Amino acid sequence: MIANILDGIVLGLQFGLLATGLTLVYGLGGVLNLAYGQMAVTSAMMVAFAMDAGIPALPAVGIGLLAGGLLGLFLDQTILRPVYRLHDEPRVLLSLLLTLGVSFIVDGFLIWRYPLKALTLHIGGGAVEILGVPMRRGSLVASAITLITFVALFLFFQRTTLGRAVRSVIEDEEGARLVGIYPDRMLRLILVLSGVLAALVAITRSMVTPVNTTSGLSITVFALIVTVVGGLGNVAGALLAGIILGIVSVVAADLIGSYISLIILLGAAAVTILIRPAGLLGVKE
Amino acid sequence: MLEVTGFSAGYQGNDVVHEVAFRVDPGEAVMIIGSNGAGKTTLFRAMCGLLSSSSGKVLFGGDDITGLPAERIARLGMRFVSAERHLFPRMTVQENLLLGAYPGRPDPETMSVVLELFPRLAERLRQHVGTMSGGEQQMLAVGRALMSKPQLLVLDEPSTGLAPLLAQATYEALGVLRQRGLTVLVAEQQVPLAMAFSDRGYVLENGFIRLQGTTEELAANPGIRSAYLGVT
Repeated sequence: MIANILDGIVLGLQFGLLATGLTLVYGLGGVLNLAYGQMAVTSAMMVAFAMDAGIPALPAVGIGLLAGGLLGLFLDQTILRPVYRLHDEPRVLLSLLLTLGVSFIVDGFLIWRYPLKALTLHIGGGAVEILGVPMRRGSLVASAITLITFVALFLFFQRTTLGRAVRSVIEDEEGARLVGIYPDRMLRLILVLSGVLAALVAITRSMVTPVNTTSGLSITVFALIVTVVGGLGNVAGALLAGIILGIVSVVAADLIGSYISLIILLGAAAVTILIRPAGLLGVKE
Repeated sequence: MLEVTGFSAGYQGNDVVHEVAFRVDPGEAVMIIGSNGAGKTTLFRAMCGLLSSSSGKVLFGGDDITGLPAERIARLGMRFVSAERHLFPRMTVQENLLLGAYPGRPDPETMSVVLELFPRLAERLRQHVGTMSGGEQQMLAVGRALMSKPQLLVLDEPSTGLAPLLAQATYEALGVLRQRGLTVLVAEQQVPLAMAFSDRGYVLENGFIRLQGTTEELAANPGIRSAYLGVT
């Protein structure tokens, strides 16, 4: 059981970071990015190609993170342009349809050209014992990177002027404009950040299990579920929901079978919408 | 400082304010009075870039700012304090004030001026704004605008939702700011409050400016005395 919970936390931290990238973009700009998983996978593939070309792992990871950020910027500058002209519900719907289209194109291309490509980052060294449970070193490194990223994100949002400006747009866009904050610039920044986070999750995930070209859809779905449970635009909520759902997922897979864990996760999201529509840590508007 | 000419604006092609013209000179306190629904909020929102206008011009410090987005106008030094306040409810008082100075570095001197003007805010720096009373929120809305050291403060109905004593206190604070040389434009339907504070005023009725003059002239006008001051 302890082993399951520890594995669940490892998975949950990644769920949390994954949802953070999606939830910030939605909370800030009313844009639902269904190509999110494809951003993650494309960035992971860039790392794999870079390593195939003989580039050492660390700079290759840097290339992957850069690719993620550039993909976010690319979405902002191209396909999301018409979305920005709309507001409220039509805006969400158009963003959802357009990014879904992007995800099909990226998936189609990757599966056509690189059906068997996968990224696996080997973290050397034997297992490390934690609370009497032997944990793979890859899991621990992945979790450490994820945790550090969360700390950095919290510091950014709580302590820096730019981070506060981003939060102000999420809380009250008109109020933000009245103090001279450009909501479109904040959204661009957050789309780039979300691309980097997607890349980071795919890269750290590949330290635990291979990330292949078909992983995009499932990454998006997991991110969506955690986002719904955690509350929109809420980083702390995403972290909490990620850890809870990570543990639920691993325990359910162990007790019943892995086929059931996705159903249970979807069920958790549905129940959350019914009981707390604004998410675990959500605030009623 | 501010000159508005032939200005019309509204919603979905239906103008609510028509061909409005007025001016605010440096150091003045000017009021736009009118009853609920006269078009004061529409006028201010369009002037400050939150709503598009259908005709006319807005000159601020000699520059044409017509049609600029609200965030640009705010950075130019014309700060709008909305009747709805639009504070950041899940942030602390301090964070709201710091963001008032965005993108600049908050000036500690300005901060202490604001906190001296509104001692209630100084006691509540770490409190979340969503849990504060309407009066405190109004003080914070004004304080946040002041953090940027604006050249012109534009207030829409600062007395909205406030008990009479608090509304009075808000206007007393504005009076202090005026004496220190801040230029203020205020829209108000509680006319006596605005009159005690302003040098000049305009009367907005059904989207048109019907009357203008110094506060004394307006206060002596029989129509205004009966319609807005409750004197028969």
